[in-house]
Amino acid sequence: MNSLNVQRLRKDFPILKKKVNGHNLIYFDSAATSQKPKQVIDGIKYFYENLNSNPLRSIHYLAERATEAYSDARDKVAKFINAAPEEIVFVRNTTEAINLLSFALPLAKDDIVATTYLEHHSNLLPWFNLRNKGVMVEIVDVDKNMDLDLSYYEDMSEKTKLVTLSHESNVSGTINDAKKISRIAHKKGAMVLVDAAQSVPHLPVDVKELDVDFLAFSGHKMLGPFGIGVLYVRKSISNQLSNFLSGGEMIKSVRLNDVVYADLPNRFEAGTQNIEGAYGLGLAIDYLNAIGMRNVEKYGHALALELFEKMGQIKGLEIYGGKSRNFGAIAAFNVKGLHSHDVAYFLDKKGIAIRSGFHCAQPFVEDKLRVNGACRASLYLYNTSHEIDTFCGELKKIVNTYGRG
Amino acid sequence: MDEDKVYEFLDLYRNPEQFGKPKDFDVEEEGFSESCGDNFTVYLKFDGDSIRDVHFEGSGCIISTVSISKLCSALRGRRRSSVPKMGIDDVKKLLGVKTISMSRARCATVGLDAIKLAVEKTGDE
Ligand SMILES: Cc1ncc(COP(=O)(O)O)c(C=O)c1O
Repeated sequence: MNSLNVQRLRKDFPILKKKVNGHNLIYFDSAATSQKPKQVIDGIKYFYENLNSNPLRSIHYLAERATEAYSDARDKVAKFINAAPEEIVFVRNTTEAINLLSFALPLAKDDIVATTYLEHHSNLLPWFNLRNKGVMVEIVDVDKNMDLDLSYYEDMSEKTKLVTLSHESNVSGTINDAKKISRIAHKKGAMVLVDAAQSVPHLPVDVKELDVDFLAFSGHKMLGPFGIGVLYVRKSISNQLSNFLSGGEMIKSVRLNDVVYADLPNRFEAGTQNIEGAYGLGLAIDYLNAIGMRNVEKYGHALALELFEKMGQIKGLEIYGGKSRNFGAIAAFNVKGLHSHDVAYFLDKKGIAIRSGFHCAQPFVEDKLRVNGACRASLYLYNTSHEIDTFCGELKKIVNTYGRG
Repeated sequence: MDEDKVYEFLDLYRNPEQFGKPKDFDVEEEGFSESCGDNFTVYLKFDGDSIRDVHFEGSGCIISTVSISKLCSALRGRRRSSVPKMGIDDVKKLLGVKTISMSRARCATVGLDAIKLAVEKTGDE
């Protein structure tokens, strides 16, 4: 595991020095939100001390600087996923990106939206809401290894207008073949949206290579601040979209009976934006680029293999991930005989942070894992082999003391 | 930290009192905690103004299961009118703990809320 120097980069994350309940913090909850390096934390302070003002509006020195900062951030995001700057719409998070599309896409009665069983609620509910317009929502199934049933796409109806799927599931860790699915969907005339909330932080993502029409992700899961996310919109499709929010900066000209709307991306960025957030996200991208996303991916893959291998040796665990063709360092599991909250509570006493419950993917957890909650350990570039050992050691103790394996 | 005490209740968690659907009951009500996935049903049998028996079914974490189990035992024979006034402090008393952290408060009250609803539902009789 030497694709990156983990001991050196850990020093960039002040929070990792914290003691929790008397133990060194082991943060295994990065799928919920990542920790932030000091480059991002200090950068946000720098923004407020040196650049702060409302961009795009005023013409004074500071407004110039803020406008520049905002536009640089957009350029960085665009380059990061191989898009053009105008194809990058800043939003609050993945949830807002998907909701925006659910309002803006020209979907009508009897059109089909195909989403999947692996989705976070944020890629289900916005589409369920369209049912009252007569839009039909179909759910692509998964097999026992948590891989998507690709035959659905081969056989899908011509009425399918949108295919939407997560690139990486936040529960099973499955990494879906978005490129292949996109190719099939396009052949059938459907548009493709990829929820990349869990993939953009962990692997190189290239929208041209995946050939998708829309891609959504959140800054806070990729070392950036809260409150900033991205919706990539393929430029050639943007004129098919209707407006979402209306107000300042999304127009070219407003007369009382004649409004001319701005082009992409401003048309979807009504009102004063989260400039601090965009700036911080740009810094997070700088940080990831300095390591190299290939290295981040390699390291994550090595962590994932080690995690599943070591957890696999603990009797009394049920492990739900690590079986699909391709997967990330996200391990959902239960200790036999214990509720996930209780396991999370015991681990927290040892300074280990994991997530428990439904993970905002209740249909998947209930119908596919067939449990009423699961624990989830999710790792990122600052986690170590040694932490995996400590985690597995504590897990073993919990199994032996309280489990019923 | 005295939440730790709750974990003395592991035996009760494994073999809870008042567990199972009774043959004879007047009202049933569901209790659900979406963040945890706790899912319980409570069954109440009344005897005029008092509660003759309370049972529950379902599953959840240790705190929610032990809380609902102890509540069911404690409420047998009590007056219906005592239920609406109950709150998390009563659950804490039953558990013998002084504090319950914010993130676990819902676990402690999921059963109580269901029982309250059931009593409310039958209030006019
Ligand atoms: C796969 C996936 N999609 C969407 C989301 C929602 O992200 P956000 O809460 O930042 O909008 C998450 C976050 O948990 C996720 O893991």
